[in-house]
Amino acid sequence: MTPEPRKQGTADRRVVFENVSKFYGDVLGVNRVNLSIPPGITGLVGPNGSGKTTLMNMMVGLIRPSRGRVSVLGLTPDNPEELFRHVGYAAQYDSFPPGLTGYQFVESYLRVHGFPAKQAEAMAWKAIERVGLVEAAKRKVAGFSKGMRQRVRLAQALAHEPSVMVLDEPLNGLDPMARAEVIDLFRELADGGLHVIVSSHILHEVDLISDQVVLINGGYIVAEGEIGDVRDEMEEDHPVQVLVRCDRPSLLASRVFEADHVVEARLLEDGRSLLVRTRDADRFHLALNEIVLANGFAIEAVAPADSDVNAVYQYLIGANGDKS
Amino acid sequence: MSEIITSTAPATRAGLPWGQWWNQLRAIVRLELRKGFRRSFGLLLLALAPLFILTLRLVVPHAIPDSADISGATQFFAGLYQAFILRIVIFLACIAIFGNLIRRETLDRSLHYYFLSPIRRELLVIAKYVTALIVSFGLFGLTTVLAFALTYLPNDSTAVSHFLFHGPGMAHLGAYLLTTFLACVGYGAVFLFFGFFFKSPALPALAVFGWEGIHFLLPPMLKQVSVVHYLQSLRPVPVSEGPLATMSDAPAPWVSVIGILVLAVVLVGISAWKIRPMEISYDES
Repeated sequence: MTPEPRKQGTADRRVVFENVSKFYGDVLGVNRVNLSIPPGITGLVGPNGSGKTTLMNMMVGLIRPSRGRVSVLGLTPDNPEELFRHVGYAAQYDSFPPGLTGYQFVESYLRVHGFPAKQAEAMAWKAIERVGLVEAAKRKVAGFSKGMRQRVRLAQALAHEPSVMVLDEPLNGLDPMARAEVIDLFRELADGGLHVIVSSHILHEVDLISDQVVLINGGYIVAEGEIGDVRDEMEEDHPVQVLVRCDRPSLLASRVFEADHVVEARLLEDGRSLLVRTRDADRFHLALNEIVLANGFAIEAVAPADSDVNAVYQYLIGANGDKS
Repeated sequence: MSEIITSTAPATRAGLPWGQWWNQLRAIVRLELRKGFRRSFGLLLLALAPLFILTLRLVVPHAIPDSADISGATQFFAGLYQAFILRIVIFLACIAIFGNLIRRETLDRSLHYYFLSPIRRELLVIAKYVTALIVSFGLFGLTTVLAFALTYLPNDSTAVSHFLFHGPGMAHLGAYLLTTFLACVGYGAVFLFFGFFFKSPALPALAVFGWEGIHFLLPPMLKQVSVVHYLQSLRPVPVSEGPLATMSDAPAPWVSVIGILVLAVVLVGISAWKIRPMEISYDES
C-alpha cells in the first residue's frame, strides 16, 4: 500500500472546539469551550479534575461532546478511519494489551492501521529509536518500568507519523534525562509543523516547551494563547513584575515610581535589586531606558519576574486549583 | 503557502476500500491471537473435559461390553456430544470467549488502542468475532475430532476402519464438525451481542442456558427460537430426549445452516452498530 499525501487548506490546520460542553450525567466535564489551536506545542494546564483529559479525549473521539463541535484539521472525531491517519494519542491510561513486547505493541497497531508488514516494521523501529527504547524493545511491556511504558506509548502514538499528537501527561514517570530527550523530541516535531498538544501539571516544563498554553480550571478555559500575551492581558488585575539589578536601586525606585503605570517599586534584601510592579510593561521598559540614560545607572539585569506559566497559573487558578 | 501536504498513513482508494479492510481485519485477528487466548486455562480445561470422560471409559473395566459393537459406540458418542460437548462445553466456552471480547479489553483498559486506530469500529467487531470463531472452532473442533477418535479407539480396528472408510463414519465426523462450527457461530453471535447490552454476560447467559436446556419441552413455535433446535437437525445420529419431549419437525439441514448464519449476521451487525458511538469510560466500568 502506498502512502497518499493529504492535501489541506490553511483553514483546516487547526484543532477547533466550538462551544463544546461535556457532562457526565449531572457532573460537569467541561463547559462552553471555544478554542482554536494552531500548530506548535500547546500546553494544556490545569489542576487534577479540571477537564484536561476530557478535552483530549473529545479531540480523538474517545468521548463525545454533549454540546458543540470538535474538529481536528477539519476532520471530525466521529470519523476515526480518516482522523487517525493524522492524529496520534498517548493516553494517560497505564495499561497495555497483554503478552506483547514493546516492538510488537508498536508494530501490531501499525499493521492495524493498514501498513504492510515491511513498512510497519521499519516505522516501528524508527519510532522506538526516537523514544530511545531500542534495547528494551524485545522485552515484554509488562516488565517495563513506568518511564519505559510512557516512552513505548509515545512511540505508538508517533509511529504512523501523524500531523497532530495529543499527549496526556507524557512526562510523567520519566527520569530527568528522559524528560530532556522527550522535550527535545516534542520541539523537533513541532518545528516540523506538527501540532503537539501536551497536558501537564509540571508548570516549569510546560513553560519551557510550550509555544502557547491553554489554562483550564473547573471545566472552564480561563486563558489561552502565547504565554506572554496571556500575561499582558492580566496586567490590569495583576501588574507585571520586573526585576532590575543596578548600582543605585533606591534612586532608580524613586525615578520609576514617578510613572503612573508603576504601582510598586520594592527594594530587595540584596541591596542591588529592585522589584517593580507595573500595569504596562511596554511603557515601563521605554521609561526605564530614558531614566537609565538620563541618570547614568549601571544596569546589570532586567528580567520579568512573573511572566511564566507558573505565575499566570497562580494568578488565574491559584496554588490549590481555586480560581482567583 | 496556499496548501500544505502532509504524508501520513496508507491510502484509501476511491469507493469502498475492501483491500485495506481486509488487511486491517487480518492485522486485528493476528494481534488478537497474539495477545488474547494464550493463557486461557479454563478454556483448555473445557476442551479436555470430554477427552477425560472418554479416557475414563477406556480404563474403567466393562465400560465397553463389546468391542465389535460400532453402533453402540456411535450411540454413545451421539449422546456425549449432544448432552455434554454441545450443550455444556461449547456453550460455556462461547460465553467465556465471545461474551468477553469487548468487556475484557474494557476491564484491561486497552480498548482505546483500537479506538485510536484508523479503522471502522464495525470492522473491529467483525475481526474480533472472526478471531473468537477461529479460536473456538480450532479448540473445540479439535476436541470433537479427538473425542470421536477416542470413542472408537477401544473398538475392533477392522470394524472401525470399515465404519470410517466404507460406512458413514466420516460423514458423521463431518456432521459433528459442522455442528461444532455452527454452534460457535450461533452461540458466539448471541454472547457477543449480550456483551454490548449487559455489563456482565453471566446472567443473560444463564437465562439462555436454561432456555436451551428446556428446549425439548417447548412447544414447536418456541423451539424455533433456540440455537440448539437448528443444531439438532444436523446431528447424524438421533438422540432420544426422553418421554417428556414435545414432538416437532426438525428443520431441513440447509434451513438450519442458513438460519444460524442469518442469526449470526443479524446479531454481529447489531453489535457492530452498537460500537460505533461507544465512548471509552474505563472509570465507570
